[in-house]
Amino acid sequence: MTATKQADGDPDAGTRASLRTPLVTERRLTRQLPVAIVAPVRSRQLAPLRSLLERVSEDAAGNAELPLGRLCTAHYARLVLLEESRDLDGEAIPAQLLYMSDIDEPLSNHLDDLLGLAPGLDRVFGRCEGYPTRGQLTRESRRQWLQRHMVQTQAFYVNTVGRTVLQIQRESLLHTEIEQFLDRGDWGGRDPLEVRAAIQDHVNAVPELAWARAAVPGPGPLDIARDVVAVALPVVGAVAAAPVLVPLLPLYALLLRWQELHDVVETERLPAAHERRLAELEDRGPVNQFSAIGLVKPGLLRRVTIGVAIRGLDLAARHVFNRGTLTGVTTIHFAHWTKLDSGRRLFFASNYDGTVKSYNDDFIDKVWWGLNLVFSNGVGWPRTFLLIWGGAQDEQGFKNYLRRHQIPTQVWYSAYPDLTAVNINNNAKIRAGLVGSMNSEEAEQWLRLI
Amino acid sequence: MAPPDLSAERDDIQGIVASGYGHLPHAAYLLFAIDEPVAAGDWLARLADTVTTAHGRVQRRALGVALTATGLAALGLPERIREGFALEFTTGMTDDAHRRRILGDVSPSAPERWLWGGPDTRTVDVLLLLFGESGSELETLTAQHLEDVSGATLVQRLQASNATFDHFGFRDAISQPSIAGLRSGPPAQTIQTGEFLLGYPNEYRQYTNRPLIDPLEDPNVLLPNDAAGSGLHDLGRNGTYLVFRHLSQDVPAFWQWVDENVGPNGTAEGKAGRAAREQARTALASKLVGRWPGGAPLTLSPDHDDPQLATAADFGYFQQDRDGLRCPIGAHVRRSNPRDSLDPNPGTPDSIRINKHHRLLRRGRKYGEPMAPTAALTAPGGGEDERGLHFICLCANIERQFEFVQHTWVNSPKFDGLYDDPDPLVAGGTPTFTVQAVPVRKRYRDLPAFVQTRGGGYFFLPGVGALRYLATLAGDRS
Repeated sequence: MTATKQADGDPDAGTRASLRTPLVTERRLTRQLPVAIVAPVRSRQLAPLRSLLERVSEDAAGNAELPLGRLCTAHYARLVLLEESRDLDGEAIPAQLLYMSDIDEPLSNHLDDLLGLAPGLDRVFGRCEGYPTRGQLTRESRRQWLQRHMVQTQAFYVNTVGRTVLQIQRESLLHTEIEQFLDRGDWGGRDPLEVRAAIQDHVNAVPELAWARAAVPGPGPLDIARDVVAVALPVVGAVAAAPVLVPLLPLYALLLRWQELHDVVETERLPAAHERRLAELEDRGPVNQFSAIGLVKPGLLRRVTIGVAIRGLDLAARHVFNRGTLTGVTTIHFAHWTKLDSGRRLFFASNYDGTVKSYNDDFIDKVWWGLNLVFSNGVGWPRTFLLIWGGAQDEQGFKNYLRRHQIPTQVWYSAYPDLTAVNINNNAKIRAGLVGSMNSEEAEQWLRLI
Repeated sequence: MAPPDLSAERDDIQGIVASGYGHLPHAAYLLFAIDEPVAAGDWLARLADTVTTAHGRVQRRALGVALTATGLAALGLPERIREGFALEFTTGMTDDAHRRRILGDVSPSAPERWLWGGPDTRTVDVLLLLFGESGSELETLTAQHLEDVSGATLVQRLQASNATFDHFGFRDAISQPSIAGLRSGPPAQTIQTGEFLLGYPNEYRQYTNRPLIDPLEDPNVLLPNDAAGSGLHDLGRNGTYLVFRHLSQDVPAFWQWVDENVGPNGTAEGKAGRAAREQARTALASKLVGRWPGGAPLTLSPDHDDPQLATAADFGYFQQDRDGLRCPIGAHVRRSNPRDSLDPNPGTPDSIRINKHHRLLRRGRKYGEPMAPTAALTAPGGGEDERGLHFICLCANIERQFEFVQHTWVNSPKFDGLYDDPDPLVAGGTPTFTVQAVPVRKRYRDLPAFVQTRGGGYFFLPGVGALRYLATLAGDRS
């Protein structure tokens, strides 16, 4: 866990920080990465795999088969069965098992973490094709198999880049400790600075909270420069290519519009049993999972459009919307867009706060245009107008479409199941306010976070 | 968008949509199970002739009629048409474990313990809502209807009275939305017709799903045409969903908890001490509610009740009370209608626009003998359903309105940035209730359940034409 040591070193650094200017160290941010491993399930192994996953899901963190709670590098992890299906040409797509997680870099640490679950790993992935047989099972052969079956995630959204699992868990403990400390006192009429000093003294006196005396590295000038460059380059490229692209736009719009008018829309509600099967796995805590899969519309136009749209989405998610909000939606922890089956299907997964209904409403009310850009290239999407309008703005059609494509997340694990993204952000602000100097007004504002 | 002209529709819309019948203080709710579909159809046809509509002035009595999904099935409405209704309605309030989780109908509130509407009680098919100017007027009306019923058996008879003040002693039913086209109100409180009546554009300028019927299946043309232009007839138009929750209130538990938690206030002996303690109790209880007993919102009047503000409904939280220093973030009224306080862009029309997707038209009334706070302090708590609220609300989209408010706002421990604070008043027991303050908040821990669910159901409140249509189904078939 070298990443963590970096994050918490230099205890004196805190004195240089204040609430308004959070400490910026030279140290690198620990970025978050998407992991996706996909493999076809061996014939006749589907049923036993299904019941195994059911046993794992009863207690994803602590079960005896595959205790995902031992993954200290994973924020969230899931195992999803992609049922056997057919593509648009009627060609069979075999049943596959997908493992997906949101991790702290580097990837090698997470792989080590996974390999540490070896017997369980064998029980689960041993039912997939090509997994090392009993005689060949070594740490190395397992690692190679996992790496060989990794697929690239085309777009990845992280609520707040740089916040590690350990940091989130620790800051939650800190929050609880401060709340309990405040509960024990009578603070009426006390000056905010006095109260803050008392909290600081208390935190300093608890050896387990020694790490909280140092500020956590925020995005440094290099990170910000990286964000700017990453966004600027494609923009410059697009401007440079404009003389070629702009004349093509009317033709593109015409072709797209023709397709939009002729695409098949599939937004009828599925039977109650389908709804029940999905709802059964939902709202067991304040955070939920979402997994969905769909076919990409045929033809070059759609392939190019979805390619560009996902690229743009990934850039925006990684470099613009990486500080707690996705265009006004503050309830999403992580989201993945992953092409599967040689680009024939798109898999979408997210971890979000609240129920699926409020999550859908957030989409419809706040980011319908962003959804349309990407997902309107999927078969069945409610009718759009020039890629941006319509589509997800059709409230009920959109909700039905999502339920039609949502699939059960057989196993779902969270390293901090009781924390919403807003809680996590608030905890980070509380921690940041422990160091540095404040005036009375700033201290009063900081105390309102608690 | 200009409101639709409803003048020609008023005699097809049930009166309870337009009015809570405040001038008719006495009410009864009669729940029936259908035994004989044909005879029940005849009965419903008679009810369709006398049901109170939104047309004209309601005099001394009023009648409303609503049906459950099982009721529609019993009358012979085919499944393929029933599927046009909302899934929440067709599958019912107690259908699965997930719905119970999001509605909070677990442990003491579990449907197995309900007095009606649960899996272990008799199926409810029809609901009659009766209102009278006086007790005797209501008695006469009730007797008439019990006499007149055919093809159905009475399952439950519930009495209720006007709920200007609820049993905890707080003014209730303030801040109702105004339905565009039916009633005028301030812009922030005026909601598109389609949020409360099927067959009209809603806040998204779209038509909420509703059962549409081939004109051939409506030979007597009892149903209006689909306004969305499909060429079909609209069984939903001028109808809406009616959500019924039978909620018992433990008034002794409430005031005793408040009394134990007011701290050292008013510990002095004598009259002055008692008055101070009573004042402290009122202040803490008002923090749970978010309004003073008289109705004044804490956000507008943080330190004392104010009769001038008793029914104040046109205000926001963001400008004056963003951090909850006046009305706690977790207070009941703030989380049941957050107004302008949530994303996106709190304090702006953006926030209000989203809030309008989640409004309810409340038509509830209380039941049982009132109990004064002082009497409640010494009374035994935990009584068997002695008093409470027959919570009734109307909405065109159960999932986006009633259920959303229930799970995303009222029951959510995470509402608006909180950590572990479901509604302190109605969520049925709360780990934490936080009262924001300077320099630091005060937390109250482990609040007991003051409210329990004792019954409930999702009903369809049809337009009068739709009621006539439903009444003919069984007869036509046989």
